[in-house]
Amino acid sequence: MRLIVARCEVRYSGRLNAVLPEALRLLMLKADGSVMVHADTGGFKPQNWMTPPAVVEESPGRIVVRKLKDDDRLDIAITEVLSDVTHDMGEAAALEKDGVEADLQEQLAAAPGWCGEGLRLVRREWPTDIGPVDLMCRDPGDGWVAVEIKRVATIDAVEQLTRYLERIRLDPEKAGCAGVLAAERIKPQARVLAQARGLRCVEVDLAVLRGEREPDLTLFAA
Amino acid sequence: MKLATSKADLLAQLGTVSRVASTRSAVQALSGVQIIAREGAVELRATDMEVGLRVPLAAEVEREGTVVLPARLTLEVVRSLPGDRATLELRPGQGDVELVAGSATFHLRTLRAEDFPPFPEPGDGDASVTVPAAAFVETVGMVARSASRDETRPILTGVLVSASGTQLRMVATDSYRLSVKETRLETPLAGPLEANVPARALQELARIATATEADTLSVTVRDNQVVFAVDGIVLSSRLIDGQFPNYGQLLPDSYEHELRLAGGELTEVVRRMSLLALKNAPLRLRFAEGELTVSAQTPDVGEATESLPVPFTGEPFEIGFNPDFLRDGLETVESRDLVFKLISPIRPGLIEAADDSGFLYLIMPIRLNV
Repeated sequence: MRLIVARCEVRYSGRLNAVLPEALRLLMLKADGSVMVHADTGGFKPQNWMTPPAVVEESPGRIVVRKLKDDDRLDIAITEVLSDVTHDMGEAAALEKDGVEADLQEQLAAAPGWCGEGLRLVRREWPTDIGPVDLMCRDPGDGWVAVEIKRVATIDAVEQLTRYLERIRLDPEKAGCAGVLAAERIKPQARVLAQARGLRCVEVDLAVLRGEREPDLTLFAA
Repeated sequence: MKLATSKADLLAQLGTVSRVASTRSAVQALSGVQIIAREGAVELRATDMEVGLRVPLAAEVEREGTVVLPARLTLEVVRSLPGDRATLELRPGQGDVELVAGSATFHLRTLRAEDFPPFPEPGDGDASVTVPAAAFVETVGMVARSASRDETRPILTGVLVSASGTQLRMVATDSYRLSVKETRLETPLAGPLEANVPARALQELARIATATEADTLSVTVRDNQVVFAVDGIVLSSRLIDGQFPNYGQLLPDSYEHELRLAGGELTEVVRRMSLLALKNAPLRLRFAEGELTVSAQTPDVGEATESLPVPFTGEPFEIGFNPDFLRDGLETVESRDLVFKLISPIRPGLIEAADDSGFLYLIMPIRLNV
């Protein structure tokens, strides 16, 4: 990773022409071939950039970045270099997301009772011909219960579960399959639509499921 | 339809009935108020399909008819009218109502009257029970706050109302606290009564009964509906299906500590300390020999502590409560003495009015990590 802080003018030509007048900027040249021009304002987004594959040609006071396959070109005219450093970043570790749907699915698969009293898991990722529903369970009376899991459940999640149930209920044995929408947070509109369609909504707390936090004390199991 | 009425009456009755008009229904007519003008009687109606309200309006009817007008807008318009009198006239050709008061004229487009649902009639062959309004209102006021607002658990959004003989009892719980109020009536009721009524309907009824200063109200319970009538106003509500929790089983048989306290004093301390129990922070009650220390702490905000003398003996212990829930219970007891019964930091505590007025408030603690 090469980081250059320089006073420069940047001209882009290609699908359109654009000029960044001379100012102090950060030029970021990454090992994967991407080049970004940052200012100290404007948020996370570069003022201009070139995605790989691209060719970087450097001469005194000038860096030219060209796309290999078309006419896109960044022409950077440098008048003053304040800093020019290169760092070996090593192997990049992949982003690890916490609290995603997969975590919730794993925890609820291990304890399906959070989705409804007495539920027991039949299978994760139960296949339907339009995609898998997250959990398929049986209730204490052996009735089928399909559970769709979201981190934040919106109206789209209700629609998705409704579509799955339509397909599942085509099987006469599962014609009475119930639906449960389980999420860390359920949007009010989603809740209204789910109730109108006879789907149950369950809000779960990942920290409680993981045993990191005790559930709230209640007078009775509601 | 054409009628003339006093602006003050129209405003008062519209203000009452508009409260139950729906604010978010897909059926536009439900956001409206229906005006029914018949010979010698005008009635305003509104409903959100859960609660329905019928309110009489004193008016001179020149031409009978029925219209539905947008409730909130009509209320705002009437509130702003000049003069003392107002006339409303349906103009079928224009699909609007002409509202004239003083020098002001409004034309308000009507909503589809066909979409407005029919209302149940009070009586209609069902047996009604007449209840003293003041006792009913007081009982509602003491328990309704404990009903849940979580629509995913509809049974808990109701208040279990039961009455027989000279006893009226109401129970509400959201699973974190439970309120029970038993009120002794001076005269026996004509018949028994039991229904799980949405708390919102009861709170609306209490508001109306208080405003009208009526002595009595009548209650008619049907299969899935309850109809209240008070001073010519009829409030109907669907009943909540399902088994209400067996609250009797929730009340512990015995307690480790029973403290008789001056309710007003503790309430004031809890109110003050709650100011710094924000962002779900618990209110901490630390009991030690002869002293109760109430404290609260919210990270990045601050902390507060206050002590008061209490007749506590035994091993010190600390218990945490949701500040709002604890305050609700204490405020319901008001300034009367109370008995605070405790078992342990993770078992429910009971607040009881010490004057034998029949009020119980069971509250679950919050776990304290430190």
